Amino acid sequence: MKNDMGLIVKTTARATIPLIGIFGAYVVSHGHLTPGGGFQGGATIAGAGILFLIAFGLGEMKRRYNHHLYSALEGLGGLVFLGAAMLGLGVAFFYNTLWHNGPVFNGQPGTLLSAGYLPIMNLAVGLKVFAGLVSAMVAIAAFRRWDE
Amino acid sequence: MSFIAVFIWSFVLWLVLTAGSKGLLWSPEELAAGLIFSGVIALTTKDIIGEKAARFLNPAKWVGFVIYAIGPLFWGMVKANLDVAYRVITGRIKPGIVRVPVDLENDAQYTILSNSITLTPGTLTIDACPEEKALYVHWINVTEKEPKSSEVIAGSFEKWARRLGR
Repeated sequence: MKNDMGLIVKTTARATIPLIGIFGAYVVSHGHLTPGGGFQGGATIAGAGILFLIAFGLGEMKRRYNHHLYSALEGLGGLVFLGAAMLGLGVAFFYNTLWHNGPVFNGQPGTLLSAGYLPIMNLAVGLKVFAGLVSAMVAIAAFRRWDE
Repeated sequence: MSFIAVFIWSFVLWLVLTAGSKGLLWSPEELAAGLIFSGVIALTTKDIIGEKAARFLNPAKWVGFVIYAIGPLFWGMVKANLDVAYRVITGRIKPGIVRVPVDLENDAQYTILSNSITLTPGTLTIDACPEEKALYVHWINVTEKEPKSSEVIAGSFEKWARRLGR
């Protein structure tokens, strides 16, 4: 059985996967300014991964997908989120110390580098959601019982 | 080279998305973030976009795409929409799937031609077979069962696709 899509789908996927990726990165990194945020952006980027999986087939995906890397990235996302939450532990857990007296991310509200730890947390959640969803989809696609 | 192609491709979309962060232009932090994110995207997807994608960085090609989009493609879509509206009202249809031989070399040309054919109503590309150099097109009003070229279905699209995807 052929595992991948035809030529047109593949060529279009080649062109659109970077665009989906950068749009997801935009949604994640502007989570404190525009609608969206970590989960939505991460799911968008995971959509690019799933498009790759569907358009190019499982064989191609298996060659580029590294389970340990994605597992580590997911863990890293969670840890960064927790680390950002602990930054202001001197006052309280989740105290936004970057916003009140931090060196970065305390710019004019409405600009990219504002809102304290929120951009960091959005990036962390985006990374975690992306890695988690892609790993889940690859695991489901690699499930082999029906292929006998 | 494909790294540069993806980088520019994604950075342009970033610029479009974040335009207006400083007046009508871009603030430096948005530009820096765009460079970083485009770099990451380019690093991760440079093997996907294809080795020869950098040929689309040629500005002459962009002009060609714009001329094609607002010229032949738009005009073809207008004509085909009116034609399909006529067929909806009168019910005079003769649907069928025809094999259209085409003379194209690479994937991009097939994709441009197939998408153009699908975008013009009444014709729908079902499959592109580069190994037999043919497209299979579902046609709402078959006038020629075995066309010798794509002229009857797509007009001048094949010529454009050959030029744009080269």
